Amino acid sequence: MMSGEFIAFMGIALVAVIGGVLLLNLSNVMHMMVALVFTFVSIAGIYVLLSAEFVAAVQILIYAGAITIIMLFGIMLTRHEDTSEAPGSSWRKFAVFLGVLGFAAVLYFGIYNLDLPQMENTLHEKNTMQIGEALYSKFVIPFELTSVLLLVALIGSIMLAKKDDEKEGDKE
Amino acid sequence: MELEQLLDFKWSIMTPEFIILGVATLLSILDLFMPKSMDRKILGWIGVAGIAAATVSLAGFIDEPVTSILFDTFRLDSFAKAFKFILLIGSLFVLLLAISFEKKDGLAEFAGEFYYLFLTALLGAMFMASSGDLITLFIGLELLTISSWVLVGVTKRNKKSNESAMKYVINGGISTAITLFGLSYIYGLTGTTNIKDMSGTLMTMGGSQNQLYLLAIAFFMTLVGLSFKLATAPFHMWAPDVYEGAPTPVTAFLSIVSKTAGFVIIVRIFVSIFGSVPATGAQDALPMLLHLQDYIGFLAGATMIIGNVIALRQRNIKRMFAYSSIAHAGYILVAFTSMSYFTFDAIWFYLLAYLFMNVGAFAIIQLVGAKAGSDDISAYAGLYRRAPILAVTFAVLILSLAGIPGTAGFIGKLNIFMGAFATEPAHYVLASILIATSVVSYFYYFGIMTQMFFRPAADDSKFNIPVALLVVLIGSVVGTIALGILPNIAFDFLHDNFMQFKDFLQ
Repeated sequence: MMSGEFIAFMGIALVAVIGGVLLLNLSNVMHMMVALVFTFVSIAGIYVLLSAEFVAAVQILIYAGAITIIMLFGIMLTRHEDTSEAPGSSWRKFAVFLGVLGFAAVLYFGIYNLDLPQMENTLHEKNTMQIGEALYSKFVIPFELTSVLLLVALIGSIMLAKKDDEKEGDKE
Repeated sequence: MELEQLLDFKWSIMTPEFIILGVATLLSILDLFMPKSMDRKILGWIGVAGIAAATVSLAGFIDEPVTSILFDTFRLDSFAKAFKFILLIGSLFVLLLAISFEKKDGLAEFAGEFYYLFLTALLGAMFMASSGDLITLFIGLELLTISSWVLVGVTKRNKKSNESAMKYVINGGISTAITLFGLSYIYGLTGTTNIKDMSGTLMTMGGSQNQLYLLAIAFFMTLVGLSFKLATAPFHMWAPDVYEGAPTPVTAFLSIVSKTAGFVIIVRIFVSIFGSVPATGAQDALPMLLHLQDYIGFLAGATMIIGNVIALRQRNIKRMFAYSSIAHAGYILVAFTSMSYFTFDAIWFYLLAYLFMNVGAFAIIQLVGAKAGSDDISAYAGLYRRAPILAVTFAVLILSLAGIPGTAGFIGKLNIFMGAFATEPAHYVLASILIATSVVSYFYYFGIMTQMFFRPAADDSKFNIPVALLVVLIGSVVGTIALGILPNIAFDFLHDNFMQFKDFLQ
């Protein structure tokens, strides 16, 4: 069952996982960001394999593009130590490793020969249009609520980050 | 879908939400154009008016049959109505607390942003109460969570507040990721985000062993993720630090409104999805929720024990109330575990009672804390000599939190206790833990009362209570005693208007 799709998936998935692991293990912030970009781009690749081209494009534009750039700005504009702190004790590392391994095993048992009924669908035809139609008709309430959510995030971050001019305000 | 079809829906049932959203928008614009030197408290009063208007309009829909808009992405059923009342009344009281908030260091009062972020948090909680679709539920949850992150860090010159906001962001982010992971499995197995369709698909699926296994994983992931929100053990670690560092009104908001919303979403998701899946392949098997209820029971037991025992050692009153609120979440989980005929009633009543007694207690904590400049328990020494009425009020609220007969807390606990016996098999262990930990809680609750009544006062200065705080105190004491002596007011209201929540799944 070594179809081309399977090989592509394995390659992309491997890059995504390696990117994630490197992100956690590298000590230089810039290197971490590069690892993160690898993960983001390979996730976009998985979306392409699932013939969700619109989501893939958005993934690259928003995550690999905008979010990474903004994080880089954040890193470069603030004063920081380039390297992270020394890792914790080896006991703790071992316990975490066991936990991760256990979780992986539990999930592996769940999915290794799972058969979900295959259904014919038309999601790949005019993918973008279908998303737009669903978003603006069926899911218009959560969509509008998301705009409130973004507004809250915007106001909140400005409020927390801006400098207080209490004293100047008093003088006026 | 055509425009006429969209307009055909009965959008008017969203009036309470529209009011809150409108007032939040109005406040943000007013804040922008108001002169800088002007007092921002007026924004708080407009917010109070908005919440009151939303409550009134919700009361207008009380006889409305189940209405749903756009495939259940918004639905108004009796469950939604009943819990939205708690959310709105709780927010009303907490906002009054916030208006009278004064701190000695840093900002004298909250910036204007506080009030509209508060309203958007409430909006998120209200959407969590009335939706039958996972996407809306999740976005409501996020709206509430992100707004509360900002609220916790609102006094940004206070280092403790910053620290607690950071902790809350990290813990909240992790819990969101875990919840979403669990929900994505349920979505993957059913292919829909509509809760009603999900339960229909799962019921007829028959379920191979593999799918049930995945569903159980989803159950645990979702439970763990949402447990962070409720601050139940062992996922409670963030609560004491966050409660201590946040400004007192925000602490009250987290322990009342945010917790209520957490229970609402847990009940909605678990009862409707996992309550209908047969736990084994056979059609007549027990639902998965009952099959796995021992694990929820374990969480409930651990939460009650850990919350109450660690509270014994606290010297800071806000930390003590954080642990006390963890313990109370444990009591409510007992009701959720037992899944008896009275479960919904018991949870609703307990949350209502908890609202009254806790908001009053936080009002006094805020008052005394601002006066003494510290939240240490010794600030309460000799409170009876300094302000007898205030001390007696606090005593009534504490007695209710401890669950002494004659108060709302007692009736709430009694309901949960009876519910635990009403099922087959009865939950004797949980019921006895409930009693034992309640007795443990007497020690720390009565410790505060000893300070108030039997210790000499450090200074004799009097308190001057702001009007808004006075309203909160009177409301909470009246509510606590009225529900304690005449609990049937609440139960009749519940039974007359909400028909036992029979329309929950329709």
